[in-house]
Amino acid sequence: MFLQLVINSLAIGSLYALTAMGATLIYGILGILDIANAGAYLIGAYIGYYIYISTGQLVLAFLGAMLSVGLVGVVLHRTVYGPILAKPRMLSIIPLVAAVGLFTMSSDLIRLLCGAGTKAYNFRFPVDVVRVGSVTIQTTWLLIFALTAVLLVVLWVVLNKTKMGLAWRATAEDPDIARACGVNTNSAMALSYVLGYGFAAAAGIMTGILYNSITPALGEVPSYKMLAIIVLGGLGNPLGTVVAGLLIGFAEVMLSTYTVLPIPKDAVAFVVLIIVLLIKPSGLFGQRNKV
Amino acid sequence: MKKLLSTLLALAMAMSLVACGGGDTSTPSDTSTPSGSGGDSSQTQGEDPIKIGFFGPLSSASASADGLSGLQSAELAVRLLNESGGINGRMVELVDYDDALDTTEAANIAERLTTADGVAAVVSGSYSGPTRVAAPICQAAGVVMVSAYAVHPDVVNAGEYIFSQSFPGAVQATAAATFAVEELGAQRIAIVAVDLDFGTEQSAYFKAKAVELGAEIVSEDYIAMSDNDMTSVVSKIASEDVDLIYMPNYYGHAAEVCRQVVLQGLDVDLLGCEGADSWQMLQTAGEYAEGLYITTNMDRDDPNESTQAYIENYRAEYDMEPDMVGASVYDAFEVLFAAMKEVGTDPVAMQEYIANMKDFDTVTGTLMYYTSSGSAVKPVQIQRVGEDLQFHSYSVIDDISIIDGDNIPVVEY
Repeated sequence: MFLQLVINSLAIGSLYALTAMGATLIYGILGILDIANAGAYLIGAYIGYYIYISTGQLVLAFLGAMLSVGLVGVVLHRTVYGPILAKPRMLSIIPLVAAVGLFTMSSDLIRLLCGAGTKAYNFRFPVDVVRVGSVTIQTTWLLIFALTAVLLVVLWVVLNKTKMGLAWRATAEDPDIARACGVNTNSAMALSYVLGYGFAAAAGIMTGILYNSITPALGEVPSYKMLAIIVLGGLGNPLGTVVAGLLIGFAEVMLSTYTVLPIPKDAVAFVVLIIVLLIKPSGLFGQRNKV
Repeated sequence: MKKLLSTLLALAMAMSLVACGGGDTSTPSDTSTPSGSGGDSSQTQGEDPIKIGFFGPLSSASASADGLSGLQSAELAVRLLNESGGINGRMVELVDYDDALDTTEAANIAERLTTADGVAAVVSGSYSGPTRVAAPICQAAGVVMVSAYAVHPDVVNAGEYIFSQSFPGAVQATAAATFAVEELGAQRIAIVAVDLDFGTEQSAYFKAKAVELGAEIVSEDYIAMSDNDMTSVVSKIASEDVDLIYMPNYYGHAAEVCRQVVLQGLDVDLLGCEGADSWQMLQTAGEYAEGLYITTNMDRDDPNESTQAYIENYRAEYDMEPDMVGASVYDAFEVLFAAMKEVGTDPVAMQEYIANMKDFDTVTGTLMYYTSSGSAVKPVQIQRVGEDLQFHSYSVIDDISIIDGDNIPVVEY
């Protein structure tokens, strides 16, 4: 059973990493905890759903949802976060409050536009499971593993091998100096939102496929759990977010199976966070903004 | 830029207000006024409509589907009544609120309904949490409240003015245990419950009865409402050699357990409860749901005219499948309508009439009578998901020692 649980926790952990990656990228460059990323996750799941049921093309659903939600992110940055962050002596809690408002609005908007009931992707591979000895691997998990790996490689290439990525890293390091050196920091920030909200949309679709169910409440758990993951990972560090996602997935699966948890499973992420922060206050990969 | 930001924030706030306004709690939505619901206006001249209050979780993201199902059934019940002449010629007006699954909001709504709105009676179309808070307020105001489907015993224990249209969790779980052990022959049972009163109460009563009948409860897992993942709990159960999984939970969890049981290759019976009695369960679980048994109060195969009429009317009106939540709300209104037709709107007379109802025909079967505490006594339906992936009647538990909550020993949990 242990090996089965390890596989289970890898699947859950990969999904957590994918879910929190968007908020990580946005924190990395803007230094704000963008709870609205959970709204992007929700909206992405719904856009992907409508594209998929209209076309039957899952790849199109991913691309369409990631692109459109990424553009929503750019618009939000230009119209909401940008003006707020540009204000002198801005309190750091203000963008957080704005993000909470945007997230709440996204849930209600989805409920009003798409209805309160459950929607099912009904996406199936020809084979549901692959059995290796006593271990069962669900084919949707393989999709999660593959998608997480592909997106992380794309992210690594974009951030490390392109001019845009160089601008992103320079802006994340110090926006004023980057600007003084001629870096277009606005583009770097827009890149954060395209990637960040796009990742969130992909994670939303994956969750919808994995559980064959999306509802307007889909973003509720990610809205707080992603905070634990990005803080645990070292705030703004993509590699740290992957490790933190896997660690929390592993801790949740193992603790809920082998122990009688006195707390809800969703609280495990925060317990792990507290323990790690007591030992390493800067998080697992605390050297902020390094990719 | 300042001006643009101000405009955007103002727009955002306005949108939030609109978005949250599924049932604005500061202003009641009179959704079925006599003229608007097709009633004969000549009958209402000179007489004010009878107001009946309703609340449900319309804007709660996790419960709004149930809230909508309840509200639609409430509107349907009122519209059909008004079209058929109302209560002895008087129209009925629905005063509905959204409790957002929030207990504070439910208390405010109950206060408003029983004072400012001056309703003749109240129907709760909400879960146990909000209904438990509203019940004592209605009781103190001397206003009859019928809870449609909240199962917690505190609801009816609030006093004699509070009735429950559905049987309590204790009855449903005791019936489930009897069915599991005596009809399905289960001897080793795992419980996967939702970590709410709804799940813990049914789990406790199921366990007590199953053990009394000789079965062994091998494991109990309580899953938070927000947790969708059942992979690991099913992996654990796979190693426990059980022959039945009992699921006192809601459709989201039940569907995922069904799916994981098939994917992980377990050969077990699955028994859910009324929380899984929803088209959403069937849509989400698809073919993985085939063979699932549930305990519920609604028998879709019942040839009873009122049951089939409700199903047809609901489908025609809303182009969606009815569920036990909506059917129970509809029945709660039918109970109030019957009382008002017989004794008017005097609360004492209504309370006395409802408390003494016998063999009343409802959409969810025959309401035999109310227990001393006000819970409906009616047969527990066992439904099974067939090859057509729809719920069908499988068995009925009508043993009075099981379905009358007064006969079930109290279990501490």
